[in-house]
Amino acid sequence: MTNLGVRRHPRALLVEILLSTAETLKEHFLNPSNVGEAGEPRFTGRAVSVSCGAVVQFSVQVDQAHNILQAKFRAVGCDVLISASSLLSEAVTGMSTAEAANDVHSQSFVEEFAEIDDNRSACVALAGSALISALQDYSNTARDEWSGDDALICTCFFVSEQTIEREIQNRGLTTVGEVTRVCSAGGGCGSCHQLIQEILDSVALP
Amino acid sequence: MIYLDNNATTRIAPEVAEAMLPYLTKFFGNPSSAHALGREMKQAVENARQEVAELIGAADASEVVFTSCGSESDNWAINGALATQPEKKHIVTTQVEHEAVRNLCQQLETQGYEVSWIGVNSEGELDMEGLRQALRDDTAIVSVMLANNETGVLFPISEIGQLVRERTNALFHVDGVQAVGKLPIDLKSWQVDLFALSGHKFHAPQGIGALYMRRGVDLPSFIVGGKQEDGRRAGTSAVPGIVGLGAASRLARLEDDHDTVLDLRNLLEDSILNEIPNARLNGPADRSKRLPNTSNISFEYVEGQNILTHLDEAGIYVSTGSACHSSSHESSPTLRAMNVPYTAAQGSVRFSVGRYNTEAEIRETLTVLPGIIKKLVDMSPYENELKALYAKRG
Repeated sequence: MTNLGVRRHPRALLVEILLSTAETLKEHFLNPSNVGEAGEPRFTGRAVSVSCGAVVQFSVQVDQAHNILQAKFRAVGCDVLISASSLLSEAVTGMSTAEAANDVHSQSFVEEFAEIDDNRSACVALAGSALISALQDYSNTARDEWSGDDALICTCFFVSEQTIEREIQNRGLTTVGEVTRVCSAGGGCGSCHQLIQEILDSVALP
Repeated sequence: MIYLDNNATTRIAPEVAEAMLPYLTKFFGNPSSAHALGREMKQAVENARQEVAELIGAADASEVVFTSCGSESDNWAINGALATQPEKKHIVTTQVEHEAVRNLCQQLETQGYEVSWIGVNSEGELDMEGLRQALRDDTAIVSVMLANNETGVLFPISEIGQLVRERTNALFHVDGVQAVGKLPIDLKSWQVDLFALSGHKFHAPQGIGALYMRRGVDLPSFIVGGKQEDGRRAGTSAVPGIVGLGAASRLARLEDDHDTVLDLRNLLEDSILNEIPNARLNGPADRSKRLPNTSNISFEYVEGQNILTHLDEAGIYVSTGSACHSSSHESSPTLRAMNVPYTAAQGSVRFSVGRYNTEAEIRETLTVLPGIIKKLVDMSPYENELKALYAKRG
C-alpha cells in the first residue's frame, strides 16, 4: 500500500530531529543505524557543505509501490551530522518516497532555525538534502522508466503531464507553487519542478 | 581516565600541592608588608623566582617577573616592546603562533603596525630565509614560539636569535609556554630578550605565569598600580601560585621526565602510524625536531571531532585541531600553514603525553583507537580513497 497524498506538517521530521535530546543524539552518534549502502534497486544522493567540508551520502532501496525498504548513509562531518543521518534513516524507512520527501524538504528549514540553533540546523539540513537528492535520483529513474500512455511528471504524487496541463488551462495557473497547491505535483522531492515550469511555459504560449 | 591532553594543561604535581598548602592556610600575608609574616611571604616569592630562573637558565633571578598566565606574558612582551620603541612600526612573527601572539598581532595590524607573518614548510619547520628577509631597521620586535602547541615542532631559537642580532636592533621575544618543563632550556646561551612561560603546562596550578626579561630590557608595567615585582608589574603577588610555580620548576629540573615521556610518546606514535593505514604524522619524521611528548596525527577522510567524542566516551582525553561550526569548519591555522590537505586536517588529533602517563595507559589507548577509526572509516563516504590507502598498506 502506498501513502500517496499523506501530508504532515512540512519539515516536521527535521524539526523533530533538531529538537532531539542530547542523549538521543549521542546514542545515535556512538551507535549509528543504517551505515552503508542500501540494497538494489538503489538510488543515491550526496550533499556537501561548502562552508564546513562535511559530506553525506544517502542511498535508498525502493519497492514497486514506492515504499522505502532501506535507507542507508555514509558521512564525514560533525557529531550532529552523524546523529541526524542515523535518525533520519530510521524515520524514513517504511515511508513512501512521497511522504519522506514531503516530510524532509529542507529549503526553508535552515533559514527558520538558524536563529534558534546556529550549531545544529545546518548539519541536520545537510542530512535532509542528501536524502532528498537520493529520492530525486529515484524519481528521475522512475520517470524515465515509466511506460504508461501519458507521460509521468511527478513521481512522488503520481501526477501525469496531462493532468498538469489540464489544471493549468482550467484554472489559469502561472507558477510551480500554484500547480503544487492544486494537484500536489512538485510537492515531494522537487525533481520535477523544471518539467512543470516547461509545461507552464508551453501552455502559456499563444 | 587516560589523560593524553598535557599540552592543554597538566595535573598539579603532589609535590607542588604540598609546597603550596602552607600558603593557602598558615601563611596568608602580603609580601609587600614590612612585618615578619610579610617577610616570610616575600622570601617564598624570591625562592620561587630562583627556581624558575634555574629551570630556564636565566643569568639572574631578577630577570624573572611573575604574571598571571602565558597570554599575559606574551601580551606584555609585545605591547611593551612596541611602547619602548614608538618610532618603529614593524613586527615579525610566524603564521603558527598561539592565539596570544597571533590575535594580538592581528589586532596591531589594524592599529597601524605592519606585521610580517613568516611561513613554515609542509613539516612545520620555519622558513628561515623568509625570516632573514623580513628583518628591517624599523622592526621593533620579533616574536617566535619555541615549541608549537599543536604539532610540537621546535623552532631554532639560537639561530633565530643570532640572525635578529646581526640584522636589527629589534627585541627578540620567545613564546616558550609549550616547551618549558619538556625540554632543557638555557636562556643565557641564547640571544633572547623576552621569554614567556606558564605554570599549568608543567604541573603548577592554572593562573600563574612568568615573563623573563633579559637584564637591561625594561618594559613599562602592563598593569598600572603599585610597585610590586620591583616596580615592573603592579598587583599583589599571587603567592600560592608563585610558590607552586617554583615547586614545579624544581620538580622539572631535578626529576625530569623527558626520557619516559619520550618512550611513551614513541610507542603511541609508532603503533598508530604502523597499524592504522589512514594515519599520517603532522610534523617532521625527525623526532629531534619536535617536543618529546607530542604527536599530531591526521586520520584521513574521517572527522577529528568524531574521534574525540568516541575516545571521550572510552575515558581517553585528547584534543583535535578541527573545530566545526555551522558557518565554517576552522581547521587549525598551524595545519593550514603546513598545507595539510583539508581531508587530513579535518581528521587531526593531538596526543600529548605527560609525566603521569603509564605504559598500560598507552597500550589501552592502542587497543581502543583502531576500533574507533575502523568505525569511522566504514562510515566515510570517501570509500575509494580509503580503499586505496588500505590496499597500499594492508
